[in-house]
Amino acid sequence: MQQVIKFLFSPVAFALGFLWPLFTQIFIATDLLQAGGLAIGIGAVVALTWGVMAQLRGSWIWIK
Amino acid sequence: MDQVVNSAGVETMTDEQLDVLERQIAGKYMRIVPWGAVAWGIGNCLVFIALFPLVLLGVLPLWLGFVAATACVALSYLPSHEAQHNIIAGKGRPLRWLNELVGHVSTIPLVYPYRVLRATHMEHHAHTNNPELDPDYDVCAKSSWDFLVKNVRGRLVGGQRDDAYGNALARTGQSGLLIDAVAYNTVFLLIMFTMAWSGYAIEAALLWWLPKHIATTYISYYLSWAPHHPGEAQGRYRDTRAFRSRLGNLGSMGMQYHIIHHLYPRIPLSLTPAAYRDLKPILERKGCDLGAL
Repeated sequence: MQQVIKFLFSPVAFALGFLWPLFTQIFIATDLLQAGGLAIGIGAVVALTWGVMAQLRGSWIWIK
Repeated sequence: MDQVVNSAGVETMTDEQLDVLERQIAGKYMRIVPWGAVAWGIGNCLVFIALFPLVLLGVLPLWLGFVAATACVALSYLPSHEAQHNIIAGKGRPLRWLNELVGHVSTIPLVYPYRVLRATHMEHHAHTNNPELDPDYDVCAKSSWDFLVKNVRGRLVGGQRDDAYGNALARTGQSGLLIDAVAYNTVFLLIMFTMAWSGYAIEAALLWWLPKHIATTYISYYLSWAPHHPGEAQGRYRDTRAFRSRLGNLGSMGMQYHIIHHLYPRIPLSLTPAAYRDLKPILERKGCDLGAL
């Protein structure tokens, strides 16, 4: 249970659960990309890259 | 209380007489149920919850929902603050249930559990401006701008505030309350994730996630930083100041008179301006920092 909660509050989980669909929907809403696989894929790349960076660095903005 | 308080009268009083007079004046403003805060706490939470269906069903535009949600989250703390100090009803009183209801319900938009806030806030009152023991001490900064940078950066880089609160709970043997915080934040994240993957990520971000961050900074500024700045002095008449806010008394959520709250925490927020005006000559004599108020 402790591991599940620890993961839920991690930057990677936030990227997976929130930032990924958020970026995808922003790309579509601002007409940067059309709805579909490309928007979902690029949303995943941007969100997960940021989330993994935050997880490893312990900071969402690189600097500590 | 027929006694008229004026600067000339106060000047000639002994310290003991002054203390008696201060308590008599403060007593006029206590033991009054703040029904406005009760309606505010419960009503504000209901309005906040209503924003979600109103925006998702297209009744309210998202931008307006964002503005309203930010206001609701910013306004969610103070009714709970009244409850934390048992102002609505103390233990054993008939309306105690209402005190606890307001305490729990009003901070739902802020995603902060009442019991954690109450426990850590009592520590803040007991140890105001003590770098080691005041859980709100980490908001101290040289200027408003420094506060803003420190506050935002602290949230992006790591949970400084959560550490301070966790430490205060551990020190007072109340670590079990952290379960409340885990439960609140788990539910919040699950709602955010569910909305996001249901196609409402932008709505979730603008109705709760971003308003929560903006409001947290705003509340920290007016409730913690401004009244205790520069955060160096300790002691009953030194650790809190009066100040004049550019946003006025409403814009600063009544915190211009926060000094009254620290001296007499059982005085309802809505009565602190009147109590301040009555007590001002005494506070001046005590050497309080009253700013330009």
